[in-house]
Amino acid sequence: MTTTIELEVKGLNFYYSGKTQALKNINLPIYSRQVTALIGPSGCGKTTLLRCFNRMHDLYPGNMYEGEILHEGRNILSNENDLIRLRSRIGMVFQKPTPFPMTIFDNIAYGLKLKGIKKRAELAERVEKALKHAALWNEAKDKLNASAYDLSGGQQQRLVIARALAVEPDVLLFDEPTSALDPISTGKIEELIMHLKNEVTIIIVTHNMQQAARISDMTGFMMLGDLVEFDHTQKIFTAPSEKLTEDYITGRFG
Amino acid sequence: MKRKNPFDLSFSLLTAAASATVLLLMAGIFIILVKESSLSIEKFGIYKFITTVDWDPVKEIFGAATSIYGTFVTTLIAMLIAIPTAIGIAIFVTEAAPNFLKGPIGSAIELLAAIPSIIYGMWGLFTLAPLMSRYIEPSLQKAFGDVPVLNILFQGTPMGIDILTASLILSIMIIPFTASISRDSFNLTPAVVKESAYAMGATKWEVIKNIVLPYSKLGVFGGIALSLGRALGETMAVAFVLGNKHHITASLLDPASTITVTLANEFTEADTDLYLSSLFYLALVLFILSFVVLAVAKFFLLRAERRYSR
Amino acid sequence: MNIQKRRKIESFLALSFSTAAALFGLFWLIFILSDVVIHGAAALNLDLFTKDPVPPGAEGGGLRNAFVGQLLITFFATLIGVPVGVLGGTFIAEYARGTKFARIISILSDIMVSVPSIVIGTFIYAVLVKPTGQFSGWAGAIALAVIMIPVVLRTTEDMLSLVPWTLREAAFALGAPYYKVIVQVVYRGAATGILTGILLSMARVAGETAPLLFTSFNNAFFSTNMNQPVASLTVTIFNYAMGPYETWHQQAWAASFVITIFILIITILGRLLIKWRYKK
Repeated sequence: MTTTIELEVKGLNFYYSGKTQALKNINLPIYSRQVTALIGPSGCGKTTLLRCFNRMHDLYPGNMYEGEILHEGRNILSNENDLIRLRSRIGMVFQKPTPFPMTIFDNIAYGLKLKGIKKRAELAERVEKALKHAALWNEAKDKLNASAYDLSGGQQQRLVIARALAVEPDVLLFDEPTSALDPISTGKIEELIMHLKNEVTIIIVTHNMQQAARISDMTGFMMLGDLVEFDHTQKIFTAPSEKLTEDYITGRFG
Repeated sequence: MKRKNPFDLSFSLLTAAASATVLLLMAGIFIILVKESSLSIEKFGIYKFITTVDWDPVKEIFGAATSIYGTFVTTLIAMLIAIPTAIGIAIFVTEAAPNFLKGPIGSAIELLAAIPSIIYGMWGLFTLAPLMSRYIEPSLQKAFGDVPVLNILFQGTPMGIDILTASLILSIMIIPFTASISRDSFNLTPAVVKESAYAMGATKWEVIKNIVLPYSKLGVFGGIALSLGRALGETMAVAFVLGNKHHITASLLDPASTITVTLANEFTEADTDLYLSSLFYLALVLFILSFVVLAVAKFFLLRAERRYSR
Repeated sequence: MNIQKRRKIESFLALSFSTAAALFGLFWLIFILSDVVIHGAAALNLDLFTKDPVPPGAEGGGLRNAFVGQLLITFFATLIGVPVGVLGGTFIAEYARGTKFARIISILSDIMVSVPSIVIGTFIYAVLVKPTGQFSGWAGAIALAVIMIPVVLRTTEDMLSLVPWTLREAAFALGAPYYKVIVQVVYRGAATGILTGILLSMARVAGETAPLLFTSFNNAFFSTNMNQPVASLTVTIFNYAMGPYETWHQQAWAASFVITIFILIITILGRLLIKWRYKK
């Protein structure tokens, strides 16, 4: 497996406003074009870590980062970083589908329009491409001008993925993307994620250990703000080095 | 619930009667106003009444056109000032302001709604009107005096007792209604949808424009319609500064009259049956107008509520 | 990168506009309040509360008649409006909960709250003043009560709906009839909210002028006879402010000051109470 590093987390500490430390000295590499899963009991900090990569924490005052996350040699966490540019290169998909109050077409085109692409033909082409990528084209092609709310929950989630893909990001962050979906929709999303890693680096937070085992290449196990163990998924699930990981994997807690 | 208990039955009947008073009062207002204005309705009809420009108690010719015109013009200008301001305030107290300012500023703006309209009137007459006539209106005349079409709006001697002053006061009075309803609607936008727009690299304004506003438009429309209803029926604040002059004028620096101002000034002076009946007719027109506007407001707000409660 | 810069500038401008809008609103609030305080405080004196008006144009005198009249009218308006409003709200929140009738009354009340108050004045004139040929304190009090009823009714409905249903079930389980459950359990749970609503509705009607113009009218003399015209602060302010005498203007400012302070204190108190009681 060739492994270039897309993102490198170095000595990351994170504090929510009010001084509670949510992440403690996290060090981990995120390999390019692979799926990295973050697992651990709720409250372990996995979502907090995920939201560091696109600096979502900056939306709420008082939150504080220490350490570095390097992306192409630049520190994402530095204050000079342009968040708007950062977020257009590192996309995010949330737990619940979050279609915007506009048509299906406009949802997908949204990020492109923000980037200043105005030509209808180009937009149409890239919307089609993104929808095909997200395996939604066949279902949506005849109702591009319908409201995004007309889609089912699973379709909405694929729409949101297509929306994130349309701007051709380097990295996609998934925050428990299937926890609100039925098993069939979940299967489709998982299939999609495994397919997408050919083009984009993926980090996924999941509650579901089987999901992590099924779709990820690397897995990090977190607990109480610490990254307990980070290794190849297969190793984590068959022969973990840490006792804590083993306990969690075998369902002794969590 | 079982209602075998006689006390329970009588208590439920008592409360039922109390709640029915709302229905009876609303129906009663409509019926009484129709009955009282019947003399004028017979004499002038509907179309003629609302299109007749004359309001002449001496000749006993009564037309509502001037009062309706004044009501519409003052309301329109007030809305033009109030809507962008109120939405701006709602944006400020939900998105733009630092957290520690959101609550206090929101409450302060709502205090504007608690000040009685008579106070707005007093202040308008003694403080605002002189400032308008001395500084603001002359400078408006200077600025637009040579602009064709616009200069018509600022003709005449700036006295301060005019449509512009009344509209400004009216706008200040209705800002809090639109602002607080818009704020409540904005707050109902799911945080995760806003976050996902931010996660696309949208700026704060883009999130407001593309996500928050479309999400809450029903509520905002409701708030606008509600303050429209308020503006149509506001009496004292305009009574002080509008001058009660029955005419149709293009200049915002002319005095005028609204339905409410006509009622406030002339109701106790009506010396003939037809005069009084015509005033009741005016009140009826206002009642129907504001009922329709308020019903539309309620319709929007209910639809907004239903949408969010899904 | 150019487009990103433009987007950031656009965002900055829009947010600056919203800040300016907030300042615009605050500006008027401060302007109006400080104006009332400055003029009013200067004109305030003890005579205002203890003496009756002197003949037009003469110096001195006070507005005792209007203060007492205002209190009388507001008191009787509350006495009529509150029971009707609370009981009406009780019906639609309890016995008729969830029915079409309750919905209609609730929506109609919301509309009625914003019906122009001067229209209510003309209505009361037609049913109470015209037949008797007499302006009266009662007509004024009833006009204000009509304004209060939908306000109190809606507050009561909302506050009763906030009382958890399980509380009622617990009382039913003890065998209590519904009326006892309402009076002894539900009202108690909602008491702060309802009282605050009543307080706020009193503040609202205490500042009303338009519905009094042709109901309680005005009276230059001290009178507590509710069958006669009764002076009120608000109508007096209107007449005095529009009148030609400087002493009248002074007294109108003083009266405005008193009424504004009174209403603002009640409003702020009411809001603090609600916040304190229903904070999450």
